[in-house]
Amino acid sequence: AARPRRYVLCEVVSDEPRCRQGFEERAVGLAVRDAIARVHGDYGLGCCSISFTVKYLNAYTGVVLLRCRKDACGLLCSALPFVRQLESRNQRYPCVLNTLHVGGTIRTCQKFLIQYNRRQLLLLLQNCTNEEERRCVQKSLLSCSLTEEQSQSGDEEDDDGTE
Amino acid sequence: RRELPDGGARPSAAQFKQLVVSALRELHGEVGAALPVDVLTYEEKTLCAILRVISSGFVKLWSALTLLGFYQNRRCAFRVLQASPFLIALSGNSRELVLD
Repeated sequence: AARPRRYVLCEVVSDEPRCRQGFEERAVGLAVRDAIARVHGDYGLGCCSISFTVKYLNAYTGVVLLRCRKDACGLLCSALPFVRQLESRNQRYPCVLNTLHVGGTIRTCQKFLIQYNRRQLLLLLQNCTNEEERRCVQKSLLSCSLTEEQSQSGDEEDDDGTE
Repeated sequence: RRELPDGGARPSAAQFKQLVVSALRELHGEVGAALPVDVLTYEEKTLCAILRVISSGFVKLWSALTLLGFYQNRRCAFRVLQASPFLIALSGNSRELVLD
């Protein structure tokens, strides 16, 4: 493959609700590079920084897509659990990075993310507390499944009826 | 064996180990500093030491020591005299062994 790259999909989990404000590509990139420097030293930092960028970031769901070299992928993935906080505008937000998927192309990561989001919506539906939330989540579930698989959406409506 | 030429201060055995570990930490981070390195012998007069490391960490150790430049703000350098998987090989040059 030309210039072998790996794309790591991860999710930022934080207790603090204000963490979303500090969600910038630069802050996440700096936090990850700092963790790599701590865990793998100068050699690791140099190895991973060659082709390292934050490709995609979603502030609402906390999903981040990182790109790195194929050789440095192991170093990067082993350093991700050591990211403790995001810093931006002189504010520190404690957080944790969960690795969701490692892929060779952005397209595979996107496919995984779509499936993952669908599963998360189903989980949200189970954990809904009040009726209004339940209706909103059901609507988004039906809208995302109607476009691709027409046959399955019929089954989902039956299930909601019996619940 | 490693030889460490220096201007003034002579490190003790513990300080020498600390020096080695800090060199590993600088180049290879926490993973490098966690590498089990043993100082088998250390002579303060000649500043010579025999280090032992697991073979998977050999490259990390040698590279970290090569790139270590300073000890207590004085320039210093590590010189590797001999490297071998067997301790007995470090005791002498096996090519000069004479068999009676």
